Amino acid sequence: MGTGEERYISAFDKDFPEKLKNIPMPPAGIYVKGALPNPEIPSVAIIGAREASAYGISVARYFSRELSKAGIQIISGMARGIDGTAQREAILSGGFSFGVLGCGTDIIYPRENADIFKKILDAGGLISEYPVGTAPKKLRFPARNRIISALSDCILVVEAREKSGTKITVSHALEQGKDILAVPGRIYDPLSRGCNSLIADGAAPALSPESVLEVLGIFRDKGRTKDSLNKNLEEKLSSEERDVLHCLDFDPKGLEEIINDRKLKDVARERIISILLKLQLLGLVNEIGRQKYHLTDKILK
Amino acid sequence: MFSSINTVALNGMDAKLVRAETDISDGGLPILEMVGFLAGEVKESKERIKTALRNSGFLIPPKRITVNLSPADIKKSGSAFDLPVAISLIQAMGLIPEEGIGSVCMAGELSLSGDVIGINGVLPMVMYARDKGFKRFIVPYANREEGGAASEIEVIGVKNLAEAAEYLSGNQEIMPSQMSVRQLLRQSREYESDFSNIRGQKALKRGIEVAVSGMHNILIIGPPGSGKTMAAKCIPSILPELSEDECLEISRIYSVAGALGPEGLVLQRPFVNPHHTVTAQALAGGGSKPRPGAVSMSHRGVLFLDELPEFTRGALEILRQPMEDKEIHISRAAGSCTFPADFLFAAAMNPCKCGFYPDRSRCSCSEPEVRKYLSKISQPLIDRIDISVEAQEINFEDLRRRDEEEETSAEIRGRVTDAVEIQKKRYEGTKIKFNADLKIGDLKRYCPVGEKEEELLREAFSKLGLSVRAYHRILRCARTIADLYHSDRINTDHLAEAIAYRSIDRRYWHGDR
Ligand SMILES: [Zn+2]
Repeated sequence: MGTGEERYISAFDKDFPEKLKNIPMPPAGIYVKGALPNPEIPSVAIIGAREASAYGISVARYFSRELSKAGIQIISGMARGIDGTAQREAILSGGFSFGVLGCGTDIIYPRENADIFKKILDAGGLISEYPVGTAPKKLRFPARNRIISALSDCILVVEAREKSGTKITVSHALEQGKDILAVPGRIYDPLSRGCNSLIADGAAPALSPESVLEVLGIFRDKGRTKDSLNKNLEEKLSSEERDVLHCLDFDPKGLEEIINDRKLKDVARERIISILLKLQLLGLVNEIGRQKYHLTDKILK
Repeated sequence: MFSSINTVALNGMDAKLVRAETDISDGGLPILEMVGFLAGEVKESKERIKTALRNSGFLIPPKRITVNLSPADIKKSGSAFDLPVAISLIQAMGLIPEEGIGSVCMAGELSLSGDVIGINGVLPMVMYARDKGFKRFIVPYANREEGGAASEIEVIGVKNLAEAAEYLSGNQEIMPSQMSVRQLLRQSREYESDFSNIRGQKALKRGIEVAVSGMHNILIIGPPGSGKTMAAKCIPSILPELSEDECLEISRIYSVAGALGPEGLVLQRPFVNPHHTVTAQALAGGGSKPRPGAVSMSHRGVLFLDELPEFTRGALEILRQPMEDKEIHISRAAGSCTFPADFLFAAAMNPCKCGFYPDRSRCSCSEPEVRKYLSKISQPLIDRIDISVEAQEINFEDLRRRDEEEETSAEIRGRVTDAVEIQKKRYEGTKIKFNADLKIGDLKRYCPVGEKEEELLREAFSKLGLSVRAYHRILRCARTIADLYHSDRINTDHLAEAIAYRSIDRRYWHGDR
């Protein structure tokens, strides 16, 4: 793929992406490190809250992985939370990952995504409107968002608050005539309010990666089970282990709540703790904070 | 005439024998002089002692009087020398027979009217004098009970100077005070905070039980209002019952601090919870006349720091040395001293600044903010905490289940005591007392694991990304869990539980990576 060297592509250059030309306020040129998205392959922007919930993180991973497996290019803003998670997962699944920055391509921001900055050049590239050395500033993020949306064929919003940067990207996307999908959530959850209201306003509900593929006009073989839990994995578990698994959710649950669960009233506390460890080692469960456990995206097919 | 009266000087907990010597000589100008490496307040006591003598009916002869507190290389501070100096003067005047005075020790402060006022540190003074072979100790009436707790020495409480003189002259009988520590301990059983008052919180209670059984330091993490403090307050109630020796050990410290209650002894394990604005010195102890700090006041009990990240770095830094050595060394210009400081360390904190992480419907702290909040606790302190447990918000479901009987502290204490006995047997003849004392070099011998267990540990370490330090803490904790099950072997369930309690590890707090 591309090289680690940054190059500037002006709007008059033949390599300048077609998709960036036909938007309101097109950039005069872009700085690129690594590759640009292949215009022949569909691209999906996966975006959402920086302070995402465990549920949001799991869903972002799941969609990114499945879409990558289907050959889709993933585009996002390299931010903490949903953005970075989707981009990291795309790289890990051997897919394509493109980061659009609100700063120079030489600046690693945020720091916790340093690993993505290192690997993304082998799986895609970094794109920015700003020259080397430009510091990340909040005021530049809305402008960056219009490029994320422009490069993508559709936008998937995983988690968003009612008023957020994610909603700005969505308004650009609407202006640019892109399809919007949103992952539905609980009505009282502030992190899902943005998504739910998008759906109310006409965005397609993203119930599974298939929903996204359908919007893109891609149909995978119908042989796949509709059931969202990974049956193959579950069959390898004992019935006690399955019971513990079924007590868990994508939202973190405290140990106290788990051991008091009626469904587990016949399982001894020490067994529950042992099983929780085993499920963690299998990657099906993750601990977040202190003794709060939640399902991971691995549980999805 | 010459006289010499025995007394005890305290520097912190360290006692030294001191003699109040008086010489009355004819000739020269009438003067009362006090010498012998005296702190300011001891020098000032001269006028007070003179007035107290006069008001008690003793006429000081207009002669040259010299009082020397010997030996001269010990700095004398405080007001406890008033009584021995006054008695020494009275004896030098020939009003108290010399016979038998050599086996008597005394200490006390005088008021201007001649009353003997209570002082700090009587219990360690009396115990020291007993060990030095003294037969009798005269103490202020207010301190007679704590003094009486020392066995094999007669403790005489006096109300005023005249009474002391009469007693020493053989003109008045005073019954020695005696306290049976054992009996007192038997009478006082009830702790105010009992685990049966806490609804639900099974996981938290269990974590605390494990911590207490092996004397592991514990960190309780949970949102505001989850009852972290209430649970911590119950910890003393499940520690093994106080022994007589322990009671005296604690009481000596409280005696020096002047913090003994009306019953004269500390009969329950202490629970000390300094506010997060506490200074490093108040935690450690010190001062010109060294007083024990919070780390010593919680000796054989619990030191609880609520809102741990709010404490200053300096204050938390102070804890490291006593947590390692179980005593604290205080160095001062006037010489250093040592206080015991063997406590169970318990702390509580919110998971983040707002208190609700990882509940994203309420917490909007960013991940770096959460990390920053945690990083206020230094790694060396984290390394000394074997167990961390979650306190969950009390939900109404739990409150409604009132019919469910909660276990009492006494029941939990029974299991803890069994586990402690097992450890006592295992570590007989070694320096180790509890599993928490196990050093890295001891783990192979005392915490051997089988092949299956080894495998689980290896997998957990690679998949959960634990540090080497966490490995040792987990083994120590698993040893205690096995002891609670009366099991010689550490099995995979014990390990899984210990892993669940593993201390916070900054890198993996979020887990999701
Ligand atoms: Zn928070």
